[in-house]
Amino acid sequence: MAQIYAIGGGKGGSGKSFLTANFGTLFARQGHNTVLVDLDLGGSNLHSFLGFRQVKKGLNSYLNKSVSDLSAVAVPTEIPNLHLISSVDCSLEIGNLFYAQKMKIINAIHRLPFDIVFIDLGAGSTYNVLDFFLSAHEGIFVFTPEPTSIQNTVQFIKAIYLRRVKQILKHYAFSNVVNELAGESEAGLVKSPLDIVDRVMAKDPDRGKLLEKELRKLAFKLVLNQYRKHIDETLGNKIEKVCNRHFYAGFQFLGNITYDERVHNSVLAKTIFANKYPYTPTSTDLKQAAEMMLKKPGKASSAIGKYGEV
Amino acid sequence: MERFENLNFYELLEIPVNASPFEIRQAYRNALSIYEEDSMISDSFFTDEERNAILRRIEDAFSTLIDKSQRGGYNKELTDAGVIDVALLEKGKPKSKGPIPLFSLKKTGGQKSLFARVKNRIGRKDFTEVSREILSKNLISGKDLERLRKHVGIAVDEIFEVTRISLKVLTAIESDDVKSLPQAFYLKNFLKAYAELFKLDSGKVIEGYLENIATLKNSK
Repeated sequence: MAQIYAIGGGKGGSGKSFLTANFGTLFARQGHNTVLVDLDLGGSNLHSFLGFRQVKKGLNSYLNKSVSDLSAVAVPTEIPNLHLISSVDCSLEIGNLFYAQKMKIINAIHRLPFDIVFIDLGAGSTYNVLDFFLSAHEGIFVFTPEPTSIQNTVQFIKAIYLRRVKQILKHYAFSNVVNELAGESEAGLVKSPLDIVDRVMAKDPDRGKLLEKELRKLAFKLVLNQYRKHIDETLGNKIEKVCNRHFYAGFQFLGNITYDERVHNSVLAKTIFANKYPYTPTSTDLKQAAEMMLKKPGKASSAIGKYGEV
Repeated sequence: MERFENLNFYELLEIPVNASPFEIRQAYRNALSIYEEDSMISDSFFTDEERNAILRRIEDAFSTLIDKSQRGGYNKELTDAGVIDVALLEKGKPKSKGPIPLFSLKKTGGQKSLFARVKNRIGRKDFTEVSREILSKNLISGKDLERLRKHVGIAVDEIFEVTRISLKVLTAIESDDVKSLPQAFYLKNFLKAYAELFKLDSGKVIEGYLENIATLKNSK
């Protein structure tokens, strides 16, 4: 079964697609059979990073049943072992995906016959993005060293967390609690997902324990992209620490990816940065982050959100 | 990881229980850099109330741990509650490779300092009889002091090394050489140091010695 990584983070332009393309390349170069899935629905552009001008078949072919298997629309790229499933062929309204279609995509991704799957997600924290993120084995949050980016990422993390809390509550049929909380969150009483955990704990300690145990299984990674020299280099570690302290989940900081003017050039030239400029600090950072991801493979058996069960 | 609210001060600042004040200060500064108002991180994560509560706790932790007596009290609370191990507290950390304080430089080649050795020798010897006999006298002469010193087995230069009273003065004191003795103010202090070295009642020695000097002057 494939190891699935989702790359997200609330803010647009933080480099999610860039990192997807480059991590994918680095993994493929090490001999892992890798596929990149562009799930930035309504804003697909991952193919441009990989040198495609147009992709004839993609996710839409699978959704409209012209092919029966998602792996049939995986297009090989110029890099050996690296494939792409694009969503550029989807309709302009694909952003508002139906629940059934979403589940279909998630289940199909879990069945893909590859070693490594990267899911490239869009900005924002709509249900589709959150659910795709939670369906992966490991979620990677990308942020840049700007207050706006950190704010969006934290909001995204909180949204992911809240989504997962609700999933667990639903799964274990804490329905009375859920209903009560739903009312309260509308009334603005629940500001942070941790409040919910606290409330469940207070009302029903046994279920609270269970909830906490489930949440602790979550494993997230953080990447600081567009790192510039004058910035506190421990910023990422600090955010990792705060996340680990204040959420019941495991966060791991993968490292800073140095900002490079030439990233822009590589995007214009529609080439992979790590291929075009392999000996730059940025490429070294990318390699180190990729190695860290491979070093500690998460529990491949359980998706972050355990979509099979919920 | 434990809930944030339940962390003890050491866990809060992420330092070992036997951390030095330097480490505590550094940890405090690091914690502030995350949670303070200007930090890029804190306003994304917390509301103002939450942040202020956290900052208050950090402030509490720092002011408690940096104060020796308060820290002792806090440690006792923790050990009584069984949170931390007493052995962990007592086990000093291996000394860091920091600069060595100037005055602890051992000039004696690994041996104990002369001061400690002389003190040790005086401590081991029992000379209460001689000292009591001297103290019982009304007039205490330099000869008495010299007798005591020789009884204990200490050389004059050793007294110089310990008390830093110059040899000239020491011999003047011991030989009752009225002319070479220093001013009364200094003399008193020298006598005090001398007497304390031999665990004599310094007040009594000064009194007896000065009276002895006065009688010597008068008889001339």
